[in-house]
Amino acid sequence: MISLSDIPARPSAWITPPMIVLAVLLLAAPDLLPAVGLYQYLGIEIAIWISFALGFNLLFGYAGLHSFGHGAYLGIGAYAFGLFQQHVAASLWGGLLAAVLAAGVAGALVGAFLSHRRGIYYALLTIGFGQIFWFLAMKLHRITGGEDGLLGIPRPPLALGSWQVSLTDNRALFYFSAALLLIVLVLCWRVVNSPFGRVLQAIRQNETRARFIGYEVWRFKWAVFTLSAMLAGLSGSLLAMAQQSAYPDVMSLHQSGLIVMMVLVGGGLVSFWGPVLGVVFYFVARDVLGGLTETWLLWYGLIFMAMVMLRPEGLAGMLHGLLRRRPALKPTTAPAPATEAA
Amino acid sequence: MIDLLPHIINGLTLGLLFALIALGFTLIVGVMEVINLAHGSLFAIGAYFALTVIAGSWFAGTPFGAWWLSLPLGLRYVLALAIGPALAGLAGMLLELCLRPTYGKPPLYGLLLTFGAALVIEELIRLVWGTGEQNLALPQAINGAFLLNGMIFSTYRFFAAGFSIAAIVAVWLFLERTSAGAVIKAGAHDSEMVRALGYDLARLRLVVFGFGAALAGLAGVVMVPIWGLRPHVGVDIVIPAFLIIVIGGVGSFWGAVIAALLVGLVIGITGVYAAAWSTMSMYLLLIAILGFRSRGLLGRKSALEN
Repeated sequence: MISLSDIPARPSAWITPPMIVLAVLLLAAPDLLPAVGLYQYLGIEIAIWISFALGFNLLFGYAGLHSFGHGAYLGIGAYAFGLFQQHVAASLWGGLLAAVLAAGVAGALVGAFLSHRRGIYYALLTIGFGQIFWFLAMKLHRITGGEDGLLGIPRPPLALGSWQVSLTDNRALFYFSAALLLIVLVLCWRVVNSPFGRVLQAIRQNETRARFIGYEVWRFKWAVFTLSAMLAGLSGSLLAMAQQSAYPDVMSLHQSGLIVMMVLVGGGLVSFWGPVLGVVFYFVARDVLGGLTETWLLWYGLIFMAMVMLRPEGLAGMLHGLLRRRPALKPTTAPAPATEAA
Repeated sequence: MIDLLPHIINGLTLGLLFALIALGFTLIVGVMEVINLAHGSLFAIGAYFALTVIAGSWFAGTPFGAWWLSLPLGLRYVLALAIGPALAGLAGMLLELCLRPTYGKPPLYGLLLTFGAALVIEELIRLVWGTGEQNLALPQAINGAFLLNGMIFSTYRFFAAGFSIAAIVAVWLFLERTSAGAVIKAGAHDSEMVRALGYDLARLRLVVFGFGAALAGLAGVVMVPIWGLRPHVGVDIVIPAFLIIVIGGVGSFWGAVIAALLVGLVIGITGVYAAAWSTMSMYLLLIAILGFRSRGLLGRKSALEN
């Protein structure tokens, strides 16, 4: 299996050709989606979940830290945004900031506890903390609205100086989400290609060795967890705006598992673009398979199992293999077996 | 002051049932170094098949169905106790076959595959048995309640606790006193050496997975009258089981049993003072214990930490 380090990066570039392709696709999406029989709201969902997945993959794919409770930070962002609108001020930037900070603080606290742990203990503790946040959201009825959720979250207008745009229209909200997504994309790209990103990959490949080289591994693990939680919080605030409400549902183990599945199916373990492909595949599969059968999750689960068994490098890995093989007339050797140390 | 005794007893019963689930889990973790997130789903499979055996619902309306229902409930219950776990064991073996491509890769792959399997099994259960909450019919002998010292106790809880103790002792005897148990323990300790000694490692893994899954199924049949049966019961139960083996220390038999009793007690006692928060208490217990002992109560070093 190939690994993240094998797909050549262009560390010096801020903007790469695939980013331009994505930007063009996003620009055209509100007209493109109805043309292929889908609807505009799907575009918002996809943009939000891609932002979430990109941040999640810093942790999951790059640092090799397997969080199974990441939905919690998405939910915290959504609640923080809603509570800010309802109790402080109806302000877009204030809400976004509150969401990022709230998720960041939660992530920093949890990260401080987690970062000395490894492997399965790490994964389990993320589940434990995720469940705690989910439980709090369910039980703190007076603050979060319990199982009914926090309802009636407004979509405050986008204000830049004296220039104001209303975001109540789905199309406007989509463009806003897409713009934030592109910012997150460039940010993540810079992070993974920075010295910090290299250290994260070193930790994934061999944590002990990274420590012997002299890096304070736990600080890096803590920093990437916090960063990833902040990005989840940002996505959560967009989710709150899109749904105009916030539910404990996104914080459940089920949803936290879904983001893991999306990222893996897309190929987050081998490519920066894996999360993007995975999220698009999930939502399109949900709408297409979901239209055909009520048990579409069964089929998605089976696809996922087959992927883990046969092609753990995901869609991005398959695409990469396809593109690489075409110039050579015949493939000389099969791809090397998995040699990357865990 | 509230009389805590009934709650302590209820907590211990719950703990014993948790121990039964956790034992299968810890066996699989020990030998395979796979965290089986579908363990709760195997529990659910055992319970749902038991439901079908007791109610005979698949043959309703046929002469066979009528004959089946004319059998005494006690007999059908005993049959369910055998058939449910056996089918869960078969499902576990099937899962083990799916897991084979992930051996030799990082433990993440096993975790992911079993997570996918849990999703698939839950959806299959919805398809076959419907989405509603269901319950098992119990024979008269173990149903109902009795009075002791002026307090009412559920007979079934005592049956379940006794059954769990018997099962735990049986598993312990099997592991400690039989040669097959010795091979399994050796496999958990050093599987390469077991292979070098001429044992068929692939078959050992298949058997251990089936055995662990059957224990989960058994726990399912016994526990469902207390917990109720719904399609997502698998996810509800795999988390406590997972917590227990981590609190107890991955791969440790008595660690799992002690941790299970501890978790049961904590849930039982929190239930007295703050019923809504009783499930939360086990996560706090996990964080408290792992804060002090990073490998759990009786844990040793494991490949899963890498």
